[in-house]
Amino acid sequence: MVTKRQLGLMLIALAVLAVAGSFVYDFLGGGQFSGIGPAQRLALLGAGLVALVGASLLPLGDRPA
Amino acid sequence: MSARAVPQERSTWQSLLSALPWVLIGLALAAFTGYLLIYSHYAWQLFHFPFDYDQGEGFELVDTLMFSRGEWPYRNIDSYPFYSSNYPPLFHIMAVPLVWLFGPQYWTGRLISYLGTLVTAGAIGFAVQREGKRWWLSLLSGLAFLASNYVYHVGPLFRQHMTMVMFETLAVVLMTVTIDLEEKDGRKRPWHIAAVMLLLLAAGYTKQLAYATVAAVFIFFFLRQTWRAVKWAIPFAVVTALIFVWIDFSTDGSWLLNTVTANINPFVPGQAQGLYRQWFHLHIVLATVAAVYAVYQLYFERLSLVSIWFVVAVINSVTAGKWGAGESYFATAIAASCILTGLAFNRLLNWAELRGWAWRAGALAVIGLLFLFQANRFFHMPTHTPALAALAELLGRPSSVAIAPQTSCSAPRDAEDIPYVDDAGVSLLGRPPTAEDSEAGRRIAALIAEGETAAFGEDAGFNLYLGRDVITNPTQFLNLYNNDAVDLTEMLEMLDRQAFDTVVLRAQFYPPPVLEMIGQRYQTDELVQMNGFVYCVMRPREISE
Repeated sequence: MVTKRQLGLMLIALAVLAVAGSFVYDFLGGGQFSGIGPAQRLALLGAGLVALVGASLLPLGDRPA
Repeated sequence: MSARAVPQERSTWQSLLSALPWVLIGLALAAFTGYLLIYSHYAWQLFHFPFDYDQGEGFELVDTLMFSRGEWPYRNIDSYPFYSSNYPPLFHIMAVPLVWLFGPQYWTGRLISYLGTLVTAGAIGFAVQREGKRWWLSLLSGLAFLASNYVYHVGPLFRQHMTMVMFETLAVVLMTVTIDLEEKDGRKRPWHIAAVMLLLLAAGYTKQLAYATVAAVFIFFFLRQTWRAVKWAIPFAVVTALIFVWIDFSTDGSWLLNTVTANINPFVPGQAQGLYRQWFHLHIVLATVAAVYAVYQLYFERLSLVSIWFVVAVINSVTAGKWGAGESYFATAIAASCILTGLAFNRLLNWAELRGWAWRAGALAVIGLLFLFQANRFFHMPTHTPALAALAELLGRPSSVAIAPQTSCSAPRDAEDIPYVDDAGVSLLGRPPTAEDSEAGRRIAALIAEGETAAFGEDAGFNLYLGRDVITNPTQFLNLYNNDAVDLTEMLEMLDRQAFDTVVLRAQFYPPPVLEMIGQRYQTDELVQMNGFVYCVMRPREISE
């Protein structure tokens, strides 16, 4: 069984992976824009939101998710 | 006034106030029952319409016909008859017995799809009833699904989407019940879980989009019983992959090409944004209550499978922005929101009942008003009789809407009054087909019958009606062309030597080189309007040497 805190950590990890993934994609030559493109900006915004939700779950401790 | 008269008077007042919310609930039930009747009327009219109502329907019938003969519809599209399917097989296989019995009729798949939406509504009602035990709320939750403009538009079409939603909903409800029972008595129920996996497999092999529901079920399973979820995920993935490899092997790779490569379509951000806005506007009560309840569960209790399903489905609805996708991609999110809304209102009523009759009456009134507000947002109805037209006007809507027929291969036409009003906006879906539409379809078929060959056309229905070959699946062709995965040589050569007596265009979905060749070798002979589209019936051009 996963707890609220663990779920929060998972969401933060997911957000970090998404951000890192988008930059790796750029590094490998994907995407049409130099710098941060509109789709990447949207993805970063989404990842930020997921990380915030994850962080807000951390204080809820060992209650079941 | 006597001392005993006061409580008696208050009691009457109390009874009156307690009864008033039931009037609102009764009105909401009447409104949603009205939508069920409108939906069933539309379905009935479609069952009697013998041609394509939505462009892809005929190709799903062709797939069913091929399965009924023991053939795969996943083929090499480069050579005559240039046909291949881009959808998984289960929906078509379900329609095969009806095609064996009654022949290649459009009503077969339309009936299965329509019945599937009723099963989905029933599953939604069951999910709400088992927690709340309030029949009227369970009924409203199920009927709300059928009343959605999006479900109404596509529910009774010969399309596989709503059957996928049926399997998804059944899987989610069964999983919820199973885990609930297991947590109550501590007894594992592997056969129930196996049934859930089968339903998920059925959903995925009905339409690829079901991957989101598969993800939601496994996220929930992982949160509740981590290692058990991993143990079930492995055989599920293996069986899914084995079926995939078997079909691909049996079709010499055409399965992978036509169901995966051909579905990598361009993403249109504006289309996705527009559909999200429209979905939220039309489903504002369902979407808001479901979202609030999901957030409540996230922070104040355990996340339910339905909450996870709702969030994943709403996110996955972004795929509605792909070229060729549309409003139906929200149907899964709508089913989830109907269940969550019913559960949330049950919770609100339980809370209110603990605080006395006034709170209960207030909560009932709010729920009744919200359902009525939602019913008003869903507004759609045919207005082809004076009574229905008067009812539309009484509800503050016009009695008809002026829509110009869709033209692509002919000159634009003036708008016509259409006896169908829909708050989703101007749509060619939803308007029940008429006797004139059937007559127009037969006229096109008669024009094709004047020649000896099958028509090269964008609708399968006319050739099916005449018992001739169905040539091409234009959208599939365009998808493969855009992915640089089709060879047009043979098709262009046949068009160049005018191998087809007739070409029938509706929306010019073919790739540009094909349209160019048609323009050079064929000319429009007659225009026929059917279902709000102007069809161009073309004959071979005289070629000067």
